[in-house]
Formats: sequence, structure tokens, C-alpha cells
Amino acid sequence: MQLSASLGRRATMVAGVAAALAFSAPAEAAPAIGQPAPEFSVVDTNGTPRKLSDLKGKVVVLEWTNADCPFVAKHYGASNMQALQKQAASEGVVWLSVISSAPGEQGHVDAAEANRLTQARDAAPAGVVLDPDGRLGKTYGAVTTPHMYVIDGQGTLRYMGGIDSIASTRAEDLAKADPLFKTAMQAVVSGQPVAQPATRPYGCSVKYKS
Amino acid sequence: MVRPPRRSGFAAVCALAALAFPSVSDAAESAAVQSPRAIVTLVSEADAVAPGATVRLGLRQRLAEHWHTYWKNPGEAGAPTEVRLTLPEGAEAGEIAWPGPQRIAANAAVSYGYEGEIVLPIAVTVPAAARPGEDFAVEAQADWLVCAEECIPESGSFRLVLPVADAVRPAEGEVADAFRAADARMPQPSPWPVEMLAWSDGLRLRLAGEGLSAATHAEVFPDGWGLIDPAQPPRLSRTADDRLDLALSLGPAFDPTQALTGVLALTDGSGASRWFALDARLGAPAAGAAAEAPRSAWTLAAFAFLGGLILNLMPCVFPVLAMKATAVARLGGGPAREVRLSALLYTLGILTAFTALAALLLTLRAGGAAVGWGFQFQSPVFIAAMAWLLMAVGLNLSGVFEVRAPGLAISDRRGHSGSFFTGLLAVVVATPCTAPFMGVAIGAALTLPPAVCLALFLAMGLGLAAPYALLAVVPGLAALLPRPGMWMVRLRQAMAFPMYGSAAWLVWVLARQTGDDGLLAGLAGAVLVGFAAWLLGLAQGGARPRVSGGLAAAAAVALVALLPRLDAEAGPSPRAEAGGGERFTAERLQTLRDAGTPVFVNMTADWCLSCLVNERVALSTDAVQAALKDRGVVYLKGDWTRQDPEITAFLRGFGRDGVPFYALYASGGPPTVLPPVLTETAMLDAIAAVPRSRN
Repeated sequence: MQLSASLGRRATMVAGVAAALAFSAPAEAAPAIGQPAPEFSVVDTNGTPRKLSDLKGKVVVLEWTNADCPFVAKHYGASNMQALQKQAASEGVVWLSVISSAPGEQGHVDAAEANRLTQARDAAPAGVVLDPDGRLGKTYGAVTTPHMYVIDGQGTLRYMGGIDSIASTRAEDLAKADPLFKTAMQAVVSGQPVAQPATRPYGCSVKYKS
Repeated sequence: MVRPPRRSGFAAVCALAALAFPSVSDAAESAAVQSPRAIVTLVSEADAVAPGATVRLGLRQRLAEHWHTYWKNPGEAGAPTEVRLTLPEGAEAGEIAWPGPQRIAANAAVSYGYEGEIVLPIAVTVPAAARPGEDFAVEAQADWLVCAEECIPESGSFRLVLPVADAVRPAEGEVADAFRAADARMPQPSPWPVEMLAWSDGLRLRLAGEGLSAATHAEVFPDGWGLIDPAQPPRLSRTADDRLDLALSLGPAFDPTQALTGVLALTDGSGASRWFALDARLGAPAAGAAAEAPRSAWTLAAFAFLGGLILNLMPCVFPVLAMKATAVARLGGGPAREVRLSALLYTLGILTAFTALAALLLTLRAGGAAVGWGFQFQSPVFIAAMAWLLMAVGLNLSGVFEVRAPGLAISDRRGHSGSFFTGLLAVVVATPCTAPFMGVAIGAALTLPPAVCLALFLAMGLGLAAPYALLAVVPGLAALLPRPGMWMVRLRQAMAFPMYGSAAWLVWVLARQTGDDGLLAGLAGAVLVGFAAWLLGLAQGGARPRVSGGLAAAAAVALVALLPRLDAEAGPSPRAEAGGGERFTAERLQTLRDAGTPVFVNMTADWCLSCLVNERVALSTDAVQAALKDRGVVYLKGDWTRQDPEITAFLRGFGRDGVPFYALYASGGPPTVLPPVLTETAMLDAIAAVPRSRN
């Protein structure tokens, strides 16, 4: 039986084709739709540990944010982000807002300031995660604020990309935009396939440590 | 990434602001909207406009050091500038003609945009009814995002009043210079054909021709998000035959069936850049390669008809011919009306099948699946179902059971629904035999509008049905057919064997695709089919019809349950590595061509009988193998038995969507495409044309 002998060759071939024709593979293995989302174990600004593998059975949303970014300000200023967070909470979704701004960069805050911002904006994430060294952000390949990810109850990445379809800082575009993230989150919550699982994220660049 | 000290930026802004004021009074430039980051005005390349003339207005952005605004595709972060014009009645405005951008890396994100100064031109047509002496007043509302380390959304309203004169009077000075600078960045048509290839680590763009030697740096700015990975600029190198080679990494939204469009920027050693419009398609042949001249839809339809006609004669349509032979035999001596009706229904059956196939192909094409002709034979479920169907048809012909109920009535005594379904089945079995005519027609069909595509399929169906339909038009021919008799029963029984043979061949293909488990499932299914047919026959013979019928139904259910076991392993079937020839990859082909090595490419599949015949009679012979060796030709073999997007892309590059396909690359020159029906002589002649290698 030559089956097992040719398996290795086949795997190589499959990998080659997949790399060439499906997705690019940057140096640090980028998260991919339909694949297990990269594991993380962090502590949020209220001291609650947040570990992805402990959240099995729950839908998890990751939101990259930066309070001083005008694209983020558009969604918080018009209460769009808060409404999404409250909808998520009511459906048992664990929503984590991640701040990857490095010390000295725009949007960098400490835990107390992050909590004050949450309160002042009437935001409702399950938790806010500080990522000043950018490890979580780079693991997930977050490039913009906002940049949205949805992980299903099995820990599979189901959506990554933009919050909606119109890349602007104008609040009046919210009504016109296709709510890509909201549609994806609802699909994952109700166990439906996500029609557009990888969309263009838009916003400011994440202010990583340079 | 170097982070600029912030103070120098502020100093630059002050200097810039001081410079800006004189220009504000210029007739061709509006009052400025300014911030410490940007001075923005509405400008016109004409000091005065004329009735009916088209002139360009533009949003002029002068940016402080380290700040940038964005191109239409902003890259990983940012947003493009937006301009909304309000014009006098009757005037018309086009879209922004975007000057070529530059790569800007800030933090971890790569953006496409502009630094320093840029004009975003918009063509505006003055109404013909405008009269000299009047004013042509334009208002603009613009939004732009200006970013350095951080991003600031800015916006402004502008008003520019231009006099209407008898003739357009071009602006001069600073505004004219600003337009000229933007024009220098406008993407030009590429003077070099661009070839795009799938590579193991992404994509390769290849450019050949004069004027490329100075390029030391290249950028590719795609029109849409996610087509290529913007993290790294293209890696630039030169091939052995002095072509420019750009290596790109793919983005998550890349679609191998769609063109990569955007802008290509080439920078020489002195830092001067040139921008070119990019429109490259995967597998598109290099300059002068066997690109087929576009043909009219009528010519293609004629080819499709001819292709369908020839399908009747192809060796792999043998089971269909067998079916038709029995059908023709049944017709002998029948009333003319019956003959005509039967022929009509057979034609209808064929056309229905072709319409369904066209619809399926169009749907899959719309879904972006990289499919090709014969793709249905790449699905193990389809193969197994076909094997069992042919087995059942064979058992029916052998007389194990009869088909009486309406349905798949291949041997229905009344003949009419039988004729229709014979037509249907003829198509399903015959299609993978890509005749030369068919390959071209299908290849063209896939790139044509759906209506034309459908018309081509129907023409091909008519071709396949033509010999039989001829009987309807000329009933006299039917009179020449032999009279019915006992020989018909024997013929029918004899015809069962081609069916069994075809089923056996399909089970072999199944084993190639799915391995031992698939073979087991396929054979178990065949046994179940036999069992069900026997039970059905018993029931028809009057022996406890209910029990037998129920058992037959249970066997059919068990058959369906076998289908999920048929899971194709990806990758080449074992045969690809056996026998002569190295496994085909686009990368290997390119490497060999770059090295100037002659290459022979054979695209084949286990389910393609013509391919197997060609290999036996024309490729594997000692003379051909010796000739290949003598000329130093490397033999690459691509196995399309299972889906392989790389091979699909390669075939599509030649306007083909099926196998067999043969191409011979002599060193340097364009490839020679060999006919799909190969002979040893044709092969030897082709090889003899390859120059003998020196070493």
C-alpha cells in the first residue's frame, strides 16, 4: 500500500497550493477563518483573568480600540459601539476591548483610565484588556482601530475585519454602511455561517511599540 | 521604522503656511482651508473656461512634513480623500483621477497615499449653453484624513469662480506646476506585457522589454483591499533572460479567477518613480504566446456545433454510441411520426442536459470556484453515482429488470421517455471527452457573458444530437435501418457489456481518487445495485412484489449511505508520480524556462480516456522518450484527476478548460501548443524543432 508513503508528499503539495492560492502566510502564523483562534491568557482592567480556552461554549468578540482615534470616536460618539456591546452582552457574548497602544503612543491608558473611559462613554464590554507590548494585537494581526474578531463557542475564528463597510470618520455614514461585524456576530450567535468572514478593517493604525 | 521628531514637523508647517498665502489670490485657486497639518485649496488648470469645454479642477493638498493623505485604496489604515462638487446647472463632473501613490509605513500599518504636495484632479465639462462673460462658479465640499503618527479627520468647503471666455485660458505658475506634478504621477499604460504566475509563496509578476533595467525598487498598489499582502514591498529580481521578476505575497481577498488591477510603480536608482496601470490575470501567457485571437460568437457557436458532432465519434463516448445503436435499432420500421418524435425527444434530452450543465457551470463560475471542463469527474460522489448508474443500465440491458414506471426509462418499450433520457445520459457520459473544438469553445464560453455561454452549450448539444435528429428530417433514412427482430434482443444484451466496462473503468478512477476505502465503497455499491436490480426483477415477475420492492428500496438507501465515505484526498493521484515525467508546478515550469531549459508539459487526468490513449501511443514510446532526452527536454506532467487550482489556472491561461493539453516550450520562445489528438510522428516533429542544447 503506497498510501502512507505518499501522504507526506501530498501534505506538502496541499500546503504549497494553499499558500499560493488561498491565503498568504506571514512570518508569525496569521489567524485564519475556520481555524482555531490563537490562544490568549490575559487579565482585564478589573483583575479578571481572560483565557480563550476557558471561554469554550461562549462566543467571544475582540475589539481593538484607541479612544483618541477618530474612527473609534465615530462609533463611540454615535453610541454605535455601545449598542453593539449591549446587544452582545444580552446574548451571552464575551466582548473584550483590547488597547494595544504602547506607552507614549496615542490611546495608551492605564487600567484606571480605561475603566473611567468605559464608564464615561457608557460602554458595556465584558472586559477591557491592556496590551501595551502589542503581543495580543500582533498574534491576531490587528492593524487598525477598530478591528473586529468573532470567535465561536468551539474556539474557531469566524470573522475578522471591519466594523462596517464605509471607511470614514463621519457618523452620518453609519446608517448607510453595511454592518459587516454586526451581521457576522449575529450569524455566529445563531449558529449560521458567516457570509463575509474576512473583510477590510478600516481605521487608524494600531499604535504599537515601534 | 524611523519615527520623526515632532518639532521639525511643526517648523515645516509654519514655513509652508508662509509660502501659501501669495497663491490664495490666484484666479485658478480658491481660498485655503488650513491646519497645522495641511493647506488645502480647490484649483483649476484653466484661468478661464469656455462653453462646452472640459477642464480639470482639483483638490490641492500641501502637507506638513511627516503627514500624509490617502489614495483610493488607503492600504491597511486610513481613508481616501472625498470631494463632492456642486456645479452650475448643465455642467458635469467625473471621478477623481488618482495620481499614483507611494507606500507609507506608520506604526505596524502600511498605507498607500501622498506626502508633500498632491493635486487630485476631477474633469469638469462646462455646459455648451454657457456664455462668454458669465461666471462659472464651482463649490466643493471635501473630507480628508491626514495622518502622521496619529490621524486627524479634516474637511472644508471651497468656492472657485472662473470666468467663461471664448477659449480656455490655461492657468500658469504655481497651480499649473501642481497639476504637472500630479500628471507626472498618473498611471500610464504599461509598455511591457505583465505575466502573472502562481508561486509557492504567493504570486510572481514578470515584465520583459526595453527600459526596465534601471528599476531598483517596485511597488504594487492594488485597487481593492486584501488582494496582496501590503506588509512587504514586492521582492525584485531579474530572471536569466533579463526579465523583471516581482514576488508578491497574497492577501486574504485574492481571487485566482479575477484580474489583479491597480498601479505598478517602478523606482530607479536616483529615486525617480514611474507609475503604470496594472491589469494582470493568473496564468495569462507571456507576450506572443499562444494567445487565441478573439473570435466572434457565431464562429464559436459553429465550433461548438462541430465539437458536439465530433463527440459522436470520440472513443470515450462509446457507451453512449452503444445506447444510441439500440435506440436506432428500435426505430427501424416504425411509423414516420414515431421516428420524428423519438428523434425530437432525444434532441430535447441532450439540450436539457447541456442547459443544466451550462447553468451549473455559470453558477459555479459566479461563485468564484476555479472550475474547468470535466470538473464533475473530479467529484468522487459523481464518479460513484455514474458507475452505479451504468451498472444499473447494464443490468437492465441484460434483462435482469425492466423499467416500466416513468423515470429513468432507458429501455422503455414505448421509447419516448426512453429517448429523452438516453439524450440526457449521452451528455453526462460524453462531456469529459474534451475534443479540440470543445476545449476552445468552452474556454471562450467561460469568459463570455452568460447568454453567449448558454448559446454555445446549446450549439454543442445540437451537434451531439445532429446525426440522430437527421433521421427526423429525412425519414427515408430510417427506412434504411434494419427491421426489428430477435437480433434486437441480442444486441440489447450485448450492449450491456460496454456499460459494465464503463462502470469498471469508473470504479478504477474512483480508486485513484479516494484510495482503498473508496474502492471498497464503490464495489459495495455495485453489489447493492445488483442486489436491488435482482429484487426489482423478482417483484416485476410477480414474486411477492411488496417484499421484494421494499428490500430493493432498502438497498437503494444503503447505496446513498455509502456516498459520504467518498472523500477525495487532495493532491495528485498516485499515478502522477509513476511513469515518465516530473510533477507539474507553475513554479517548476518557470524555473526551467528561466534557465533556458526546453520543457514539455502534459496535462492529463485518469478519467480522460483520450489522455491515456495519447500517453500510450505517442508519449511513452521509446522513440519519443529518446528524442526528449536527446534534446534535453524536461517532461512535466500535471494530473488533473483531482481538483488542482494551479493546473486550472495554467489551462485557462491558454483559453482552455479541459484536458488533454500539451505544450512544448523551446528555450526562450513562446510555447507551441500541440493537438489534443497526438501521434508519435507529430510528437517527434515537434521535438525535432527544439534546438539541440549546447552542453
